[in-house]
Amino acid sequence: MAAPIASISDAFRADGSASYKCPVTGYRVLAAVNAPVELPARKGALKPQEATVEVSIRPGKLSPSVVEKSAESILRRMLASVILRRHAGYPRRGVVITLAVVEGEPVGRSGTYLPLMPALLHSSLLALMSAAVPLSCTFMTLFFAVTRSDEIVRDPTPAAIKDAESLHVISFSSTGRTLLDLVDGPCDLDIWATIHQQAKDIYQGAAVPGPDGDISMDEESNNAPGDIIRETVEDRLRRDYRWEFETL
Amino acid sequence: MTTPLILLPGDEVPNDHLPTIKSHAKSAPLKIGQGLRLVSQPSTTSTPQSRVLKATQAGILTTDSKRKIVSLLSFPNRRYTPTVNDLVLAQVHHSSADYFHCILTPHTPHAFLPQLSFEGASKKTRPNLKQGDLVYARVLSTGVGASAEVELTCVNPATGKAEPGGLGPVTGGTVFDVSTGMAARLLLATSSRADDSDDGVAGLVIISELGRKLANVGGFELAVGRNGRVWVDCPDAEEHAVPAILAIGRCMQLTDEHNLDLADQKKLVTRTLRELKLAS
Repeated sequence: MAAPIASISDAFRADGSASYKCPVTGYRVLAAVNAPVELPARKGALKPQEATVEVSIRPGKLSPSVVEKSAESILRRMLASVILRRHAGYPRRGVVITLAVVEGEPVGRSGTYLPLMPALLHSSLLALMSAAVPLSCTFMTLFFAVTRSDEIVRDPTPAAIKDAESLHVISFSSTGRTLLDLVDGPCDLDIWATIHQQAKDIYQGAAVPGPDGDISMDEESNNAPGDIIRETVEDRLRRDYRWEFETL
Repeated sequence: MTTPLILLPGDEVPNDHLPTIKSHAKSAPLKIGQGLRLVSQPSTTSTPQSRVLKATQAGILTTDSKRKIVSLLSFPNRRYTPTVNDLVLAQVHHSSADYFHCILTPHTPHAFLPQLSFEGASKKTRPNLKQGDLVYARVLSTGVGASAEVELTCVNPATGKAEPGGLGPVTGGTVFDVSTGMAARLLLATSSRADDSDDGVAGLVIISELGRKLANVGGFELAVGRNGRVWVDCPDAEEHAVPAILAIGRCMQLTDEHNLDLADQKKLVTRTLRELKLAS
């Protein structure tokens, strides 16, 4: 399976920016974060004790519709639980996250946003880190489809998504909490529990080294999305601070 | 050279990377800088090893074992957040009875600069700043709580003098925008007296190179604000003033954008000066 492609701090003028491409579904999302900023239009509605998180999704070729609005509210709730909204300088300010879907099959009015969720969430996480917004933890998101013969497929292709009985998106924080558990389509509790367990195994495989102390390099544990995020951040930080650490 | 430790939000700071703190009362306490938070505080009876620090941002861990400071170096293109004693380049938005309302960064509330906080200012003689005027100022306080207001000053309240020198309204010249990380590096490079060293300060040689090569047109003045704005002027350059200012701005912005190393910075300076016909 091809690894996702990610980059961080691409846009020069935004406070934080990132792009993330999921090679299987073909979606590429460009994220920009501006924080902390004043949200002048709703000054009175802002909570005095914490920051307000705003998410807006721009689909590539269409104008935003109801499905984007519903995805925005899911993202807003999930990201707000990760951002330290009471950190100094953040109360009564806004964290504005703009996500543009620049590549991939557009989602119609009756479509589902679940296949886009990993790309949307991972690109916003990278952009939030690039803007140095205080976060309590990082997270990783996994995407599964259940076929008509009750077979669980991780990272399904667009064709498999179309034929699938149900779609599942699960997010784990780096502290081990389940942050998001979305299901689209009919699914019984056994399958849901199996997927949850499988996701947890992948998550733990990504974080915990093997019994001999080495992180195994085989295909299965190597494609955890948590690794690509850490690698992207480390590469960029090393490049940005080359002047400080190469002259030592 | 040790490999820098890079932390992501939620990562715990390993105890062996923290400066050693002796448990007896006389030693200085550990200071936690930007990007970290204390998750569990050791009680007075337990050992200091039970302290847990977690990162809130992605960054490189830096420790100052002498001053007992531990902090994270985050991405350089982040937004500027005011900190006390930072030198900033503020732009006046409007003035009210007692204050100039200044812009530090776009889309943030205005910072307050009292009309009397200039050197030698009194009720009768005070600077008359118009909308758009620039002031080089120091952050006096950042306030507490949700309605935190940033207050600026151009004098040291204890002495009534403009300290450090150069604070106050700036006239002439041009402002260039750079990233906040670049502004911090420029401040390091311009404040230290290592102009003659060939390997530069904070990885920057453009300022010393430009200073040497523009000496024949009368040199230049620079005011670096931590909020990512740099003011440049060449008061004695006469007909060379505009190309010289442009050359300085272009060198800073290209170095920032492409993260150039020392050799490339020298090449950039030579090429820019030749393109603007300031050097043969």
